[in-house]
Amino acid sequence: MNSLKKINSEIKWGGSILALYLVWAITWFIQSHFLKGSFSAPYLPSSDIKIELLGPGGQGFILGTDIYGRSLYELLSSGLNYSLGISLLVCLMAASIGIIVGYLSVTGPRFVKIASDLLINLIFVFPSILIAILIMAATGQSFWGLVFCLVVTGWPGYAKIVRGETIRVMGLTYVESAVAIGVSKLRLFFTILLPAIMPLLSVHIVLGLSGVIISEATLGFLGLGGSEYSWGSMLSMAKTVLLEAPSVVVFLSFSMGGLIIGLNLLGDGLRDYLDPKGV
Amino acid sequence: MNRIFGKLAYSLFTIFLALTAIFFIIRLTPGDPVSRILGPEASQKEVLLYRKDLGLDQPISIQYLSYMKNLFLGDLGVSLFKKKNVGNLILSHIGPTLTLSTIAMLISAVLGVFLGIWSGHRKSSWVDNLSRVVSLFFLSFPIFSLAPLLVLIFSIQLGVLPVSEWLGVEHTILPILTLVFPLTSVLVRVTRNKFLEEVNVPWVTVLRAKGMGEFAILLRLTKVCLPSIFNVIAIQLSVILAGTMITETIFDIPGMGMLLLSSIENRDYPIVQGVIIYSTVIYMAVYFLVDFFNEKVDPRIRVN
Repeated sequence: MNSLKKINSEIKWGGSILALYLVWAITWFIQSHFLKGSFSAPYLPSSDIKIELLGPGGQGFILGTDIYGRSLYELLSSGLNYSLGISLLVCLMAASIGIIVGYLSVTGPRFVKIASDLLINLIFVFPSILIAILIMAATGQSFWGLVFCLVVTGWPGYAKIVRGETIRVMGLTYVESAVAIGVSKLRLFFTILLPAIMPLLSVHIVLGLSGVIISEATLGFLGLGGSEYSWGSMLSMAKTVLLEAPSVVVFLSFSMGGLIIGLNLLGDGLRDYLDPKGV
Repeated sequence: MNRIFGKLAYSLFTIFLALTAIFFIIRLTPGDPVSRILGPEASQKEVLLYRKDLGLDQPISIQYLSYMKNLFLGDLGVSLFKKKNVGNLILSHIGPTLTLSTIAMLISAVLGVFLGIWSGHRKSSWVDNLSRVVSLFFLSFPIFSLAPLLVLIFSIQLGVLPVSEWLGVEHTILPILTLVFPLTSVLVRVTRNKFLEEVNVPWVTVLRAKGMGEFAILLRLTKVCLPSIFNVIAIQLSVILAGTMITETIFDIPGMGMLLLSSIENRDYPIVQGVIIYSTVIYMAVYFLVDFFNEKVDPRIRVN
């Protein structure tokens, strides 16, 4: 049924934007890991105080330089790879935890449901960015600390969706017959449940990626990020030179905004595409 | 009445759990606040003395009890860095934050619902397309990248609004705009989708068949959409609170955000803890009120 539906323009636009970003990210990955640096010691933008705050096009720098004289193009690129890497990692981890907890809270023993409900509610009622600020301030800034607190605040969303979907799927007749002939819970999970919830889950992962990119950048902006190569920490540096070099803020904002627009468009488009009601 | 008490009790219980979680997150995460405050050069004796001063030498259960007792009495402790009572510090900073977030929320609620209903009512018209594109755009620019862009446009290019500080009405415009754009965008989208869900239900057809005016029908549809909108506002509240704090740091507004950020830099844990406890309690209070209010607006929720 879905295959007959026309792919909507949101998927096309979002997909094209994301494809451009992917090409950019892969190009930079090859440049930094193989051409300019090595795999064990990737190349990082080098600073040179003599060429600080060049405008776009100055001295061969396409986009200019920042306050430390680093090439803005190289900074943006390493920020892109950092953002993409951390958001993929966080979303996959959060989604995996969410899938397991969501599935177990329906099919597992009763205490799992009670405990997971309590935990999910607790994390949901907390303002999530504040929880992240608290954890980052308490643990100090590190990459894994950042991943940890983004996963902690991220998984309940997936767990809720998976729970709802599991309840729906378990009520379908073909699943009931599978249960009746004694298919084990593990097999049920991999052969029936996972394929059934994957479409909806992928929409939420795509939309979740943009959420993680924003959260990560917010923490970076507040000085609580895991790396100086986060777009957020670059923006907090760039806003101090807003008057002298407005182009730095503009390039940073639009690189980040463009990526998030792409993800949001693709996520919205996929949701409409998969929605049986066709709203 | 019983149910309201039940809900209130549940909210209080969640607040209690949240406070417990905050306590354990701070105490059990690796990294000793004392060595951070005193720096690496501090002698063993100084560290021990300081720990004793803060009550950190006690077993964790005793620490927890005294923490809860102090919170219950409204005592958030004393700032490590500024040596002032945390509660008073927060009260002296809460004004701008509440002003900003309340005004931004009111403007966005009215604007968002109005635009959402309008673009839902005229689905696929130019209004609808424009509002979808614009709201997508503003949703994709986080507050801290939107704010510098607005400053660039309104203060530096056009020169019509002041850049920062907190002196008069004209200083509130840019921060409020920064908050209003993304929040309105969320509300437009939610209202539009909810409106389109409700617009073809039987009772609307009946009203139309009986000859009720289009405007009166729209009003009734709006009322039906309100609970979802309030829910979204409640969920967005944490985003608004955090957003206001970030906005403050950009526009140099002496609110809770400035307090939070400066205390994160100084490793002033009692203040960080206090600000987060305050925000959590405000957040949950609003959440509770929204729940209560939704039942009044839409009787169907009460039945379920």
